[in-house]
Amino acid sequence: MSEHDRDTVDRQEDAAPGDLELGEGGTVAGVRNYLIGLALAAGLTVVSFWVASGTSLIYVPGVAMALAALAIGQMGVHLAFFLHITTGPDNTNNVLALAFGVLIVGIVIAGSLWIMYHLNANMMVPGDLMDMHSQQG
Amino acid sequence: MLGRLNWSSIPFDQPIPLVTSLVVIAVVLATLAWITIKGHWPYLWRDWITSVDHKRIGIMYCVLALAMLIRGFSDAILMRSQQALAFHSQGYLPPEHFDQIFSAHGTIMIFFVAMTFMIGLMNFAVPLQLGVRDVAFPTFNSISLWLTASAVLLINMSLFIGEFAQTGWLVYPPLSELKFSPGVGVDYYLWSIQISGIGTLITGINFVTTILKVRAPGMTLTRMPIFCWTALAANLLIVAAFPILTATLGMLLLDRYFGFHFFTVDFGGNPMMYVNLIWAWGHPEVYILILPAFGVFSEVISTFSGKPLFGYRSMIIATMAICILSFMVWLHHFFTMGAGADVNGFFGIMTMIIAVPTGVKIFNWLFTMWGGRVRFEVPMLWALAFMVTFVIGGMTGVLMAVPPADFVLHNSLFLVAHFHNVAIGGVLFGAFAGYTYWFPKAFGFRLDEAWGKAAFWFWLIGFYVAFMPLYVLGLEGMTRRMQHYDVAEWHPWLVVAACGAALILAGIGCQAAQLVVSIRNRAALRDRTGDPWDGRTLEWATASPPPAFNFAVMPYVTGAEAYWDIKQKALEQRRLTDLPDYKPIEMPRNSPTGFVTAFFAVVTGFALIWHIWWMVAVGLVGAFGTFVVFAWRDRSEYELPAAELAEIDHARRQARVAFVEGREAGITRVAAYSGPPKHDPNRLGARADADGGYKGPASKRIVTGYGFWVFLLSDFILFSGFYAAYAVLSHATAGGPTPQKLFDLKTVAIETAFLLLSSFACGMTTLAGNVRNMLWTQIGYFITGLLGLGFLTLELSEFGRMLAAGAGPGRSAFLSAFYALVGLHGLHVTLGLLWLGTMMAQFWAKGFRPDILRRGMCFALFWHALDIIWVGIFTNVYLLGTSP
Repeated sequence: MSEHDRDTVDRQEDAAPGDLELGEGGTVAGVRNYLIGLALAAGLTVVSFWVASGTSLIYVPGVAMALAALAIGQMGVHLAFFLHITTGPDNTNNVLALAFGVLIVGIVIAGSLWIMYHLNANMMVPGDLMDMHSQQG
Repeated sequence: MLGRLNWSSIPFDQPIPLVTSLVVIAVVLATLAWITIKGHWPYLWRDWITSVDHKRIGIMYCVLALAMLIRGFSDAILMRSQQALAFHSQGYLPPEHFDQIFSAHGTIMIFFVAMTFMIGLMNFAVPLQLGVRDVAFPTFNSISLWLTASAVLLINMSLFIGEFAQTGWLVYPPLSELKFSPGVGVDYYLWSIQISGIGTLITGINFVTTILKVRAPGMTLTRMPIFCWTALAANLLIVAAFPILTATLGMLLLDRYFGFHFFTVDFGGNPMMYVNLIWAWGHPEVYILILPAFGVFSEVISTFSGKPLFGYRSMIIATMAICILSFMVWLHHFFTMGAGADVNGFFGIMTMIIAVPTGVKIFNWLFTMWGGRVRFEVPMLWALAFMVTFVIGGMTGVLMAVPPADFVLHNSLFLVAHFHNVAIGGVLFGAFAGYTYWFPKAFGFRLDEAWGKAAFWFWLIGFYVAFMPLYVLGLEGMTRRMQHYDVAEWHPWLVVAACGAALILAGIGCQAAQLVVSIRNRAALRDRTGDPWDGRTLEWATASPPPAFNFAVMPYVTGAEAYWDIKQKALEQRRLTDLPDYKPIEMPRNSPTGFVTAFFAVVTGFALIWHIWWMVAVGLVGAFGTFVVFAWRDRSEYELPAAELAEIDHARRQARVAFVEGREAGITRVAAYSGPPKHDPNRLGARADADGGYKGPASKRIVTGYGFWVFLLSDFILFSGFYAAYAVLSHATAGGPTPQKLFDLKTVAIETAFLLLSSFACGMTTLAGNVRNMLWTQIGYFITGLLGLGFLTLELSEFGRMLAAGAGPGRSAFLSAFYALVGLHGLHVTLGLLWLGTMMAQFWAKGFRPDILRRGMCFALFWHALDIIWVGIFTNVYLLGTSP
């Protein structure tokens, strides 16, 4: 293997996304990391299902918001414990790329909803138009 | 056996396409025969078709773009002559043919001329400017090229076999739905664009990774040439925007092939959602095209003014501002569709705002020329013409950004004039400037100047004569895409426009002549120094044409304008730098993977268009097999010994020595040049550490991981397209079953548990791989796969249950969006399982090799990322759908 291929050497002090930097704990620390991640993810999932099951503890109009918060939290857990995205300086590039992606995802979804809501409010939805059409015919 | 294909697919009754395609087929066959007789195949195969060299790939992209320019321009000539003739008459093109021509013209010009040319220039110049030997993923670069070529082949096949879309270049539904376009035309469009879209996405990932992770030592981000910055922005836009296109066209394909109801007018489908999504890609696409052109002009104006670029940092900020803002203006393409005043107002204002960074750039170019010694060579002429033309086109764009004005001008020839004004005056002029500028670097001799100037003047005048009348026609009320008309006032203007097209034809003729004359006179036009224009960036530091490895020793960059600093120092001291210490280097080996994959892509695409299902299977299995073979190879690189490097570099240094000592006719301007401005912080010596803290290309593991990470982000964006469609359509149940009645949360809970545990098992496997334990690696992957398989089985049985209950995707738009979104995730799991299987075999056969470990890292990223997507799905689709 050439010098270029020696993957452990890292002159950039950058981390590959997904690489878990283990201290002296080694494998044990790694197992602990994944176990914590699994526990948190499973816990958040259970809470999500519980919230959606129609519990009387939560104000009904707030369910959607609660579910969104839980989902975002769980995505964060997955990013941190499974994909090992950290806030460290070696991860700056990875986090910036992620931020760009999240921005675009947000723009596409929120923008589409906003635009389509307006269109639906102002125009007749083609489906209804069709229904009206067939009723006349 | 042959699906929809039969003899009636050949247009025997239409002389124009029939004769054209026969002539084209004859020319292609003659060329192939000539190559065979001359025995050029081994050379072509070895040095071009299987080449993974970014320079050759760049050149092939540009050749492809030039060929398609001729195809697209033929369409333009047909349209202009038809409209010049079709006053009170039918002209000579029947409507169904005319409609295909304008659709093909737009599609080909945008995807296969403008995109392809810009990607070609980036391929050629970016690694050279960064001072490195290749892009991050050379074989994938070859795959990108050949996938683009497959799409080109497919789209041109439609001329002879079948027909092309008659729907306009963006195939708006409901017209493009099966009900209204039952032929193969729209399918040709969709599959071509999907295939080329994959190629383009790979290019985007490749160049983002290259520019961010693979640069010469000392080339910090703020020392990169501005072309690299614009390339970075354009490729970020590719990575972010192309998945939206893939998603949107994918939905239309589902509508056409499987009876889904995303964009149909019945069962709750919503054609306006298509328009919304396609422009969420379409507007960034405009900037994908223009930003690299801005980069070319920046290099050209700086070089031919003999000055550093004015406002380098403001240029970077403007570029990146455009990169973000271009995602916030897309509604201005459909102001008239009926959104409320605040939506239209917001997007109108955003559109005006995006003109600001563009204005900053124009002023920067003007100030670069100010006080410089401007040389009016051909690339500079294109740049000057661009500045004037683009400002006019930009102004009419800002005019149409005012929603009330847009209501008047929408869909008129005013709009057509506007976007040709920016597309030709911006992108195409940029492509021609870059072509003339980098031609001597690519081939070792300059292009003939007289013919170049003639071509320039014909193009410039031809452009104004062809398109200024269209502004007038638009104001006179003529709409676009008219096959005939009976308004007397329009006729003279259309005749003038046709004359403009003829002038442009003369320009193209001059360009062809220029190429022939230059090749003949190449001895006289030879560039011996490698620096024919007195350049400022690193591509001019190496020989023309550059050796395969670009630089025998990677340059050490100490400031912006890396090469200018080196050159001025050499000229002052009248000697080159000391002979470097040559070390053997590793270069990527050639690979037929790209070509073979593209072959199977053509087979698959053609089979899908004509519904030849067995052939689809052959194509897909072939493409997958090609990838497995590629992944299986043991040696991906070859070594160049130091002695050979020294020998090749010696020849270059000889030419440079003559140049530096003033014996060769070069450009020595040391006295005329007063040195870099002292206040510029980028200048040599301004930093304590000369390399600015950047030590050179990152290790392969980081490069691979980062590239895959960028891919995953593009995948998230792909999902966001489907997710947006689901969010918009989830209430369009069209009287069919609602989420409450349909979803079974118990199954979803078990599916989630399977997926989470599978992810955990995958994490454990990563740890086993880290300590190189083969047994546990295999066991871990096996459990990972088994749990994934469990998830998939449950999901499919759920789908089966719903289908049996009459709740298929054809029932309502809600169900269409549901099956597409959840099914896409399931498809990812399926592909992940296939990947997992081949990877386990590789680990078994080859052990813990670094390249296979890198693959393991990428797989883990992929598998964990699928969890994140699933969290979004189970929350928003299942839980929110069933909650009270």
